[in-house]
Amino acid sequence: MNLFRSEEHVRRWLDGRPPGATIPVTTLAALAEAWWSDRLSPDWRPRTAAESQAILDGLGLTGASWRLPGT
Amino acid sequence: MDAVDLTLRNNTYTLLVRLGRGPTAAELATETGMAETAVQAGWKRLHEQHAIVLGSDDEIRMANPFSAVPTSHRVEAAGRSWYANCAWDAFGVCAALDADGHIETTCPDCGEQLVVEVRDGRPDDESLVFHSLVDAGHWWDDIVFT
Repeated sequence: MNLFRSEEHVRRWLDGRPPGATIPVTTLAALAEAWWSDRLSPDWRPRTAAESQAILDGLGLTGASWRLPGT
Repeated sequence: MDAVDLTLRNNTYTLLVRLGRGPTAAELATETGMAETAVQAGWKRLHEQHAIVLGSDDEIRMANPFSAVPTSHRVEAAGRSWYANCAWDAFGVCAALDADGHIETTCPDCGEQLVVEVRDGRPDDESLVFHSLVDAGHWWDDIVFT
């Protein structure tokens, strides 16, 4: 899970391997906020798979690349 | 996750942030009054629940988004330097700390250093892209590779 200069850099790096998911860094930042912002809260509780999937879905991260097990 | 493991998990994160690095089982034992063996046993349960990730030495390897070992994803935030497990986690360090941050990482293709300033959760360079090679269904098959 890495940042790249551009999609062209991703394609070159893959060198023919099947691609995973590529998203804009702005979406990544929003995902990180939604996913990690409660991590140090004393009220933190483990999320269910459905709750985690809802975060992904809510950011438009759909399709096989973003489908969690058990959802 | 039961109350004992939840408390151990929260204490682990609290001490990690206070120390600025992964705490050892001995440090957690001192901090909490638990026996070191009880900390280690609890950490193994948390590892199995994907709440933390232990290394081969049974010490903390990841307390996501934080990495207890050096990585190529470095974050300056809240007056400290941190390692993140991946680019997603680099932004996650800022989110978890509720702080602006300065991320330094490297484009795996060209090797160029990428520097991102995060302000109010937003990156200053919006031209970059993120790639996840592993599908979500397999993230935990090998979380270190992921």
